[in-house]
Amino acid sequence: MSRTSILNAVKKNKPELLPLPEINLNVFSEDIDLVKTFIENVQFVGGRAILLDSIKDIDAEIKNLYPHAVKMVSCIKESSLGSISISKNTEPHELETIDLAIVKGELAVAENGAVWIAENNFTIRVLPFITNDLVLVVNKEDIHLHMHSAYESISKRDRTFGLFISGPSKTADIEQCLVIGAQGAISLTVFII
Amino acid sequence: MAHADEAAIFNKDEEKVDWHDKALWFVRQKRDKSAHNVKGWETLRNLASAIKANVMSNLDNYLIQFEENAQKNGITVHWAVDADEHNKIVHSILQQTNVKKVVKSKSMLTEECHLNPYLEAHGIEVVDTDLGERIVQLAKEPPSHIVLPAIHKTKEEVDVLFQKHLGTKPSHGDPQYLTNEARKHLRDKFLKADAAITGVNFAIANTGGIVVCTNEGNADMGAHLAKVHIACMGMEKLIPEEKHLGIFLRLLARSATGQPITTYSSHFNKPASGTEMHIIIVDNGRTEQLSREDFRASLHCIRCGACMNTCPIYRRSGGHSYKATIPGPIGSILSPGKDLTKHSDLPFASTLCGSCSDVCPVKINIHEQLYKWRQIITKNVPQPVVKKTILKMAGRVLANTKLYDFAGKSARFMLKYAPRWVVYSKLNTWGKARDLPEIKDGNFDQWYKKRQRHE
Repeated sequence: MSRTSILNAVKKNKPELLPLPEINLNVFSEDIDLVKTFIENVQFVGGRAILLDSIKDIDAEIKNLYPHAVKMVSCIKESSLGSISISKNTEPHELETIDLAIVKGELAVAENGAVWIAENNFTIRVLPFITNDLVLVVNKEDIHLHMHSAYESISKRDRTFGLFISGPSKTADIEQCLVIGAQGAISLTVFII
Repeated sequence: MAHADEAAIFNKDEEKVDWHDKALWFVRQKRDKSAHNVKGWETLRNLASAIKANVMSNLDNYLIQFEENAQKNGITVHWAVDADEHNKIVHSILQQTNVKKVVKSKSMLTEECHLNPYLEAHGIEVVDTDLGERIVQLAKEPPSHIVLPAIHKTKEEVDVLFQKHLGTKPSHGDPQYLTNEARKHLRDKFLKADAAITGVNFAIANTGGIVVCTNEGNADMGAHLAKVHIACMGMEKLIPEEKHLGIFLRLLARSATGQPITTYSSHFNKPASGTEMHIIIVDNGRTEQLSREDFRASLHCIRCGACMNTCPIYRRSGGHSYKATIPGPIGSILSPGKDLTKHSDLPFASTLCGSCSDVCPVKINIHEQLYKWRQIITKNVPQPVVKKTILKMAGRVLANTKLYDFAGKSARFMLKYAPRWVVYSKLNTWGKARDLPEIKDGNFDQWYKKRQRHE
């Protein structure tokens, strides 16, 4: 009933149809070094981005950066650091004590240091948030200039749950002092292969 | 109490006001820096404005399309005409699923509907999980800013509050320590919650999905751990297509805090297996605002808070002085539409400098709408006698050259020779914290004529 009355009120009160604007993406194009810009922006938002020569180096790098991480979930086949295995049937609350998670990013965005990850990359939705530290892996050629290009690239996906992550969880709610590590992961490292 | 009286109270602590003023101006500067880094920023603003105008002109069809797509994806869609119906729907979902503990991420809509007291009265625990919102919840206060809810609190005040409610040690307001303690406290709440309530930043008609943006990760911690996720949205949150997110997400965080994007921009399309997802579409006065040609564009707002950060009045009067869910310039054009008498002072809490319109990412003509509300309010709401009489007298004087000349002469004479206590009497509100400029002998007319003679 409320549905009908709301829709009727909208119909009665809305103005005459205005057109959707044409979007000319040329206005936003720039000839910049995507990898370099991406790395700078990840740093700007409180994360760390590292260029690796080969995916084979990833385990050594992680061990080096996170020497105390024990309970690890790896969602990429190239890493053998995973000590906890998860499946679709894993109870999300059990991930409470995870130290580190490794997730494949489908693409990255140079302009804001964001990485797009989708549910099929990490199986349990809460994983990238509940883990203490988060490691993302993206291919160099999957770095896009801006968000428009990123959305074009994910437009054909199977839509369940996905997100852009830009840096570690943070807050400035106490007197505008920036504190890294609010409710989600307290650190973020992005490896670019 | 009127806005000016509330502001006077806020201004009693001069040091705090100065801090508040500078802290928000600093956020405004970060916004500028961030915006100037984007090639085509003004194009983004123009596009966002035009898309929102299209949305308003076709809102019924977009709502139907959105509902259809959301339902296809297994999401239950509810409709609420007002705050009361919204609260009842939330409560009935919680009852059906036997929920006793709820975690909630930031949602100005649920503030507008006063959802927390409603649920609490029905024996349900509601924990606000955004750090700033948790702070004001513990202090039993409303948020004073839509993006920075606890901007009016000092770190020492937070320290005392956390000692009392979270059992923390005195830390002289160490933000790192206090945030860590809040993290532990909220972790426990997330793990024990039966349901999560979130707001909605954008609802996408052509996919039926919603996007929720946070920096802390609190919306996701709640939504992905609980069995039930309820997302509450004002009907104006709709955008036509997913690709339009490219435009809005580029604008939102940069305008809000100067970040290039929020830490998390989560796209919810389908509930996870074994969980329920509900979306409540709320009107609560929005269709009425849609009918007002002059004020319709206020519904374009994406809640970035940039107009607050730049406003010289907001920065020096604090969010609570507005006595409205949404304070600041945008709140002052939204609130009179809900209750003209109650909020009749708000459109006057402005210098009409236009800075709000200049920074608005969706180009709402905020200062023009403030001016238009003033025209309506002076006709419909009784004005204070002093203000009315003074303006009437001023009108008469300004319309008559001789009278105007005489008034000018006597004013100059008075200001020069009358004792200070007369000039700075209670009637001179301008002179409360300022000195009047030095008084010259003649008026502009005389000065101009003299200057011409000398040439």
